[in-house]
Amino acid sequence: MDAEQLSGLLSRCVLRDQQAFRTLYQHSSAKLFAVAVRITRRRDWAEEVLQESFINIWNHASGYNAAKSAPMTWMTAIVRNRALDLLRRPREVEIDEGHEDLMASIPDESPGPEELLKQSMEAGALAECMKQLTGEQQKSIALAFFNGLSHGELARQMQKPLGTVKTWIRRGLDRLKSCLDAHGI
Amino acid sequence: MRFASEELRSKLAAEYVLGTMSAHARRRFEINLKEHPALRRAVAEWEKRLMPLALTLPEVEPPSRVWQAIESRIRPGRQGRPGFWENLSFWRFSSIASGLVALALLILVAVPGPEAPPADGTRMVVVMNDLKTRSPAMTVSWEPGMPGKRVMRIRVIGHAEMAPGTAWELWMLPGKDQNPVSLGLITTHDAQTVIVPEPLATKLDQAQGLAMSVEAAGGSPTGLPTGPVLYAGQCVKT
Repeated sequence: MDAEQLSGLLSRCVLRDQQAFRTLYQHSSAKLFAVAVRITRRRDWAEEVLQESFINIWNHASGYNAAKSAPMTWMTAIVRNRALDLLRRPREVEIDEGHEDLMASIPDESPGPEELLKQSMEAGALAECMKQLTGEQQKSIALAFFNGLSHGELARQMQKPLGTVKTWIRRGLDRLKSCLDAHGI
Repeated sequence: MRFASEELRSKLAAEYVLGTMSAHARRRFEINLKEHPALRRAVAEWEKRLMPLALTLPEVEPPSRVWQAIESRIRPGRQGRPGFWENLSFWRFSSIASGLVALALLILVAVPGPEAPPADGTRMVVVMNDLKTRSPAMTVSWEPGMPGKRVMRIRVIGHAEMAPGTAWELWMLPGKDQNPVSLGLITTHDAQTVIVPEPLATKLDQAQGLAMSVEAAGGSPTGLPTGPVLYAGQCVKT
């Protein structure tokens, strides 16, 4: 289903069209659930995130502006924010301490952030721009984006000082921005 | 002014969207987001840049209980936490208001009316509510089942303003699984008419509702609503 069709469904959700909402769910939930599972690393949390996100989408469909963002961009941002809030808010300390275990609980067949990044390199300006970053910049941004790690968690995971990791990310994002700007994105 | 520098806004927005902020920093940032439109724009820009990465993840099918839980929460009259629409059930409110305004319209039309209602008294009336304030903002009415075309009479209630460089586009919502269909651009004038020719006219009689979205001047370039929906309402036969 393309962006235009998804926008059409969202605009019908404004009118409380439950059929349109169901179709929207059917065509986007597997992608969005993947995002939630990846970040929360727990099925039960991911299910909660997905449920709350769709309630949010239903209630705020009138705030969606197709001129400003693609429907999947809008919905993915809602899911990531929910997932990050759940991950950070109540149990930040617990996650920090048990971090190794949680990382280990990602099933082996699940692709790592670097592999995901390679998959994303297949096409598009974002892929092209990602390639211009150094390996460390790529890795730290991918770990933060896909696994939802905070600066502190990244530093521990990559066994580097906090300042170093922050600099990688900042410079990586700067370079990404100017490259995407040049592509008109 | 805080966040006056575009560079600072972009830097903070990037960290927020990437997700590297601590819980405390996220909360603080979200409070600032509410107050600074320029910060919201910076976030939207970073979301546009980074979110496509998420679509590279292999899909994971959620269990069916997730949809069941969502469905039970969006049904009118369901139990649970009240959401945006449920405090004053939008449709229940809308249909009461529709009835009242429909009655008023009938009286208006019937008493001095240069156009008397059809013999059987049937009229389609849509009371479109402002989705933010949930109060009636516009009414649309027409006589269904006439041959040829429909003349939609539009009343804009109260004083409405259109932002410069934008247009108001009226949409028919056919219901079921069909996309909205444009009925054309309208103005903020308190009384106006829109002519709907066949074959759209017949579809209009069956429509579930109408909506009005804000589009760039000249109307939606895609044939579907691209801007935010301001007013919407259900079609009611009176």
